[in-house]
Amino acid sequence: MNRLKNFIPSTLNYLWSGWGALASLLLFCAAWELAAEHYGALILPGPLDVIAQLQQLISSGIAAPELVISGRRTLYGLSLALVVGSVLGMFAGFSITTSMLARPLITLLLGMPPIAWLVLAMLWFGLGDATPVFTVFVACLPIVFAGAMQGTRTLDNHLKAVAQVYRLPWHMRLTDIYLPHLVSYLFPAWITALGTSWKVIVMAELLTTSDGIGAALAVSRAQLDTETTLAWVIAVLGVLLATEYLFLEPIKRHVERWRMGVSQ
Amino acid sequence: MSALHIRDLHHRYGLTEVLSHIQLDLFAGETLALVGPSGCGKSTLLHIIAGLLTPSEGTVEQDFLGTACVFQEPRLLPWKTAQDNITLGLKALNVPKSARQQQARHIANMLGLTVDDLGKYPHELSGGMQSRIALGRALIIQPDLLLLDEPFSALDIGLKLELYTLLRQHITERGTGVLMITHDLMEAVRLADRIVMMVPDPGRLVGELVIEHPHAERTDAWIYKTTADLMTNNNVRIGFGLAQGTLDLPEHAHKQHSGCNI
Repeated sequence: MNRLKNFIPSTLNYLWSGWGALASLLLFCAAWELAAEHYGALILPGPLDVIAQLQQLISSGIAAPELVISGRRTLYGLSLALVVGSVLGMFAGFSITTSMLARPLITLLLGMPPIAWLVLAMLWFGLGDATPVFTVFVACLPIVFAGAMQGTRTLDNHLKAVAQVYRLPWHMRLTDIYLPHLVSYLFPAWITALGTSWKVIVMAELLTTSDGIGAALAVSRAQLDTETTLAWVIAVLGVLLATEYLFLEPIKRHVERWRMGVSQ
Repeated sequence: MSALHIRDLHHRYGLTEVLSHIQLDLFAGETLALVGPSGCGKSTLLHIIAGLLTPSEGTVEQDFLGTACVFQEPRLLPWKTAQDNITLGLKALNVPKSARQQQARHIANMLGLTVDDLGKYPHELSGGMQSRIALGRALIIQPDLLLLDEPFSALDIGLKLELYTLLRQHITERGTGVLMITHDLMEAVRLADRIVMMVPDPGRLVGELVIEHPHAERTDAWIYKTTADLMTNNNVRIGFGLAQGTLDLPEHAHKQHSGCNI
């Protein structure tokens, strides 16, 4: 009952906070419009033209299948990275030795340009689905791994002592001590990984596949069609914003409801 | 009878010796207060007994069934409500949820917490309430050995007295052995059967006072007087750094410390 009482105002509060985000997006659109008027439609079409073009792409049935293809590849690569990165990162965090061993490797992997991975993946996997999926996986893995490891390492020793004194079995240590703490580190890492995954997938598709949003971008570039190019970009950004604010953020708010009032 | 025996215990952090030649016995139903100035190794000794640290040398033997520890800070899990914090130990013992909730309400009532408080997260509660929850978390598993590391230092005097009564009641009913660390001599005189004094550099036990006065007859006047007497004792003053000089102590030759005076 108490939870329900908290749930309704916090949801309304969350929705209301959307106005701020909307205002900042509209401000950006205004600046875009201004720039469009200055440079002309060939170089930079205005937001209204781009949105009209996107609507046209959607209504003619071109956009949806490409989005689904890219979305599916992102989902595979990203989910694999989230699961593998979170689990391995947590295990690495349990011991100082593995953390020390893992740290330079993470720096190495984070510094490796995704385009280099893409070239390697093309050599290893050819031009199929595996190439973009692998590239997304390998680009997101170190981000998630670092977050999970950092989270595990920073758990307060005082709380570990409590777990030891009250003889918490291993599964309770995981669900009652480690995971709730880890979530605060994992979510930001997951959100960064989400952004990276879409950037990488578009790039990978542009260079390697004949379908998906990246491939569609390659076509519009060949036709010097700035309007369609921007329409695809808007479509990707829309998916990204929707995933973060309609899916990840509500989960985060639910899991971290104990923080309400602590840091807001 | 369950008991705790510590023999020839030494502990070092790196090259610094923090505990030296510790011998201590604690039997079921007995309350032992460990007093001494800050930094003399009291908490380290408590952590060794709780199994959180492995001593560099020496043996710690105990056959108490359940051990609970109340730390200097409440150490509550910030992501759990007061109720889930109190019942943490029960959950680890696989007690069903309904029974846990019932016991939590019972103990919360004794500790002066309302049902409303039980649904709150630690950051929504005052420091005093957090300390009470930490004590509740220890008492709810009905431990045979209770280790207390200055758990009452953040509480106001009225609440302290209530919790003393609650603790004494628990000890009498359960026959719990209690090892408590305190700075507060008056608290030690009020609650303990034996007071052991500890001094730093390196941390060692230097003397013991057995209080034979029955708990039921420890009136406030008696407590004030006994504490005042203790505070005028030269060894106690030197131990707490209130006076200069060297401790004038008898050698501890016998194994069980049961009557040598400070």
